[in-house]
Amino acid sequence: MKDTNLGAFEELVLLAVGSLDENAYGVAIKDALEAQSGRSPSIGALHSALYRLEDKGFLSSKEGGATTERGGRRKKYYTLSGTGREALIKAHDLRMAFSQKIPGLNFNID
Amino acid sequence: MKNDSIRPPKWADNLLVLLCKKEIREIIQGDLYEIYLINTNRYGKQKADRLYAKEVLQILRPRLVKKLEGTQKLNNYGMFKNYFKVGIRNILKYKVFSFINVFGLAVAMSVCMLLILMLADQKSYDQFHVKKDRVYRILGMPNGNKPYATVALPLAQTLSEDYPIIEESVSLRSGVGGDASFDQKTVELRGYFTDNAFFRVFDFPFAKGDKKTALSEPNTIVISTEKAYQLFNTENPIGKHVQFDDRGLNVMDFDGDSPPVDWGNYTIVGVIDQQSIKSHLKFDALMSASTLPILYKDSLISDVSNQWDNYWTSFAYTLLKKEASKDDLEKALQEIAKTKYAEIEDLNEYKYMSQELTQINPGILVNNDATFRLPEMAYYILSLLAFVIMVMACLNYTNLSIARSLSRMKEIGVRKVTGATRKNLIFQFLTESIVTVMISMLLAIFILFFTKEAFMGLWANKYLNFELGSSIEVYLVFFLFSLFIGVIAGIYPALFLSKHQPVKALSNDIAGKGKWGLQKVLNVSQFVVSLIFIITSIVIYNQFEHYTKFEYGFDTENIVNIPLQSNEYKMLSNEMKSVAGVTQVSACEYILATGTTNVIDLIDPNSEEKFESLMYLSVDEFFLDNLGLEIIAGKNVPPATSAGSDRYIVINESAVLKLGYARPEGAIGNIWESKSSGKVYEVIGVVENFRASLLVNGDETRPLILANNSSLFNYMNIKIAEGNPMKTISMLEEKWKSIDDTHEFKYAFFDNELANTNLAIFDIVSIIGYISFLAIMISCLGLLGMATYTTERKTKEIGIRKVLGAEELNIVMILSKGFLKLLLIAVIIAVPLSYMLNTLWLDNLSNRVDFGFGTVVLGSFLLLVLGLLTIGSQTIRASRKNPVDLLRYE
Repeated sequence: MKDTNLGAFEELVLLAVGSLDENAYGVAIKDALEAQSGRSPSIGALHSALYRLEDKGFLSSKEGGATTERGGRRKKYYTLSGTGREALIKAHDLRMAFSQKIPGLNFNID
Repeated sequence: MKNDSIRPPKWADNLLVLLCKKEIREIIQGDLYEIYLINTNRYGKQKADRLYAKEVLQILRPRLVKKLEGTQKLNNYGMFKNYFKVGIRNILKYKVFSFINVFGLAVAMSVCMLLILMLADQKSYDQFHVKKDRVYRILGMPNGNKPYATVALPLAQTLSEDYPIIEESVSLRSGVGGDASFDQKTVELRGYFTDNAFFRVFDFPFAKGDKKTALSEPNTIVISTEKAYQLFNTENPIGKHVQFDDRGLNVMDFDGDSPPVDWGNYTIVGVIDQQSIKSHLKFDALMSASTLPILYKDSLISDVSNQWDNYWTSFAYTLLKKEASKDDLEKALQEIAKTKYAEIEDLNEYKYMSQELTQINPGILVNNDATFRLPEMAYYILSLLAFVIMVMACLNYTNLSIARSLSRMKEIGVRKVTGATRKNLIFQFLTESIVTVMISMLLAIFILFFTKEAFMGLWANKYLNFELGSSIEVYLVFFLFSLFIGVIAGIYPALFLSKHQPVKALSNDIAGKGKWGLQKVLNVSQFVVSLIFIITSIVIYNQFEHYTKFEYGFDTENIVNIPLQSNEYKMLSNEMKSVAGVTQVSACEYILATGTTNVIDLIDPNSEEKFESLMYLSVDEFFLDNLGLEIIAGKNVPPATSAGSDRYIVINESAVLKLGYARPEGAIGNIWESKSSGKVYEVIGVVENFRASLLVNGDETRPLILANNSSLFNYMNIKIAEGNPMKTISMLEEKWKSIDDTHEFKYAFFDNELANTNLAIFDIVSIIGYISFLAIMISCLGLLGMATYTTERKTKEIGIRKVLGAEELNIVMILSKGFLKLLLIAVIIAVPLSYMLNTLWLDNLSNRVDFGFGTVVLGSFLLLVLGLLTIGSQTIRASRKNPVDLLRYE
């Protein structure tokens, strides 16, 4: 049985990757997370999470795109896999289910 | 914007490369660099660097960090654990073979380790001197033979004065040997004259006193802590005065006691702690050389300070300047030798040699050495013996491993099929052999405790002073040694076992016959070596017996020799005669046949030219009777009534012939003169021949004259009645104490003393005997292993034979036949070899035993008996087994 439990940070990373569509690589993901959540993960933490998520099958990756800004080093682009999307939806549903049980919390999703 | 010049901190980058997994590294590095550039623009280089470094440090996460060079090493670790496990299981499964291997190796290793300890001990001598690398001892060679450790006294001074390469030179003049007294207490001190330069060349530790000034003033002395304690107890000796009486004693413990001569008072300026260090120089005391001129004035000691032809009284050591080399020293010495010895007749060929301080121990044998040491040659021989034993033990291991290879074929086959390379298998078997050797090492250390005790108990050790201490370095050496032996012993079996093809191995299709030849050769050679050892031991033992049972020609039973230690003989003998149990007392100059001699040259007063060298021994009128020697012509030496009573000499039969007389009677009444002193001697009697020189010094009896010169007496010979000798001795001791309470009562039984001169041989017998014993044991163990293995293999055959009616005896014969053949071959090879080897050293000895046929027979017989016992244990057991059990064995 696949482990579909997502940690909080992992979930955020998946969301960030999803939001970036084709351009989701290290620095871009970091910037997106920073923009949305205000937190700035270290590259180490981020890549660690990306590695783990790929292991779990939620992300797929492909390499390419060496640029001079990187000193000629290549990038790794991540995209959400089908399982990844499923996991995100599940996680989202779980939060919704809980929050509806709490009186007074107004989420107003459309 | 081109940003090649902007680089993140190198150390951080290197750390990243070091830490990060290869597959993700470049990517991460790229990300980090992008951010770095952005940061540099936004915050400037310094902050960007800091942030970069912070990021790198946060790469330290399990997921991103490299594993130890990938997974290859992890696999190795796992395999190693497996080899170890399997190895231990194998060792436990075949306990008999393992025991044979372990025990044989352990015994051989203990011998090697003892040798290592000896070498370590000897090498540690004189290591405490700070400037040891620049210190040299000067040796002299008056002719081409063995060098002398002693040289002329002025050499050291000449070196330091005339040669700038020398930083310091120091002479040690022998001659300090006598009694020092302080406040009713007396101790014996032996040592040298030297000056303050001694403490600049050497670093003997000062317990008290000032190194910088000690021995500069005349009449000063430095003593050892032991002697200081005896004289002064716990009080500070510095500044105290002792009265010194010289007795002509020597550091090396030779005889030569003379009546004490007052040399005056000496101030103690230093105390040296000799017990904390090891040095080739041993002394109780050092006297200042500046005292010598004072002693010269009163003719108390000979002045050799300018005599270059006297090369036996002093030692010279020199300290070179840092820039100088040994060659510079050699050149300087050559110059000195040429200039000083060109004029001196007989010494034109005199040469000097320099010897590094660190090469003295262990080192070449020299004359007049400062201490007794084991010569280098002895170490080579011991190493050879240890090597032989070790090789035999390793051969056993090889032999047994190969013999048992069949039982491991299945395992090897399976391993090969599942992917083991030959290297893996070799490594596995090496691991097994190393494990075996490590266990042997532990056992060897245990055995070593006992052999060490025995070794230290050898007589020779009294003089050689081995302190076989163990230190961390020594254990480390043992460990490395074991590793080395493990590899050596295991390499051949490892190679052999690993080479078979897996299919053949699995189906048990190995032709073991080919290797049988090799095993036979190994076994035979082991027995050849053992037999050579046995025969050599027997020969040496015979030689030793011969020496001890030698007919000296005079009585030695119940005679006790007591050194006079400067007491007056006449008075002492009267006192001793009154002790109950004493039957006779006589006196002599030195003890016969123990190595000391005195010689005299006699000239025929008529011819002036011819002179003869004879041994000279001063004895009193009771000596000949005491020792049961018969006068065959003329009279005994006269009692010492007047000054000239030593004019009348008694000569022995050999002297009669030497001096040119046909018959003993013809010699009586003749006059001879001493060549050196001109003193006139008249022959008054002839005594039968007896042995006066050491047994190793040739067969014939040297010509000898006896005269009654009481000033030369050093020993008293007391004959004790049968019964309780020790009681008489203690009464003699009482008497002695009442007369002389400063000197300790010393005594020795004559027959013991004579036996002791041959103790050196006894030591050699012990050592060779022990090694032979080990060699034989290892060979027998090897044979046992082979026999066990063979009988195991033949169980079915034995079963069938028994069923068909064979008797037990038949079976034993069949099984043993092969081995007997091997033993016989060994005997045939070993006998001529041992004959050659032993005649080599026997020929060097005069007074030797014959290498008889009996020796050979005895040795071979011993070997055969041992071999048969070993084989027999297995074959008899096998032949007794119930055939049903044997045939059922699958």
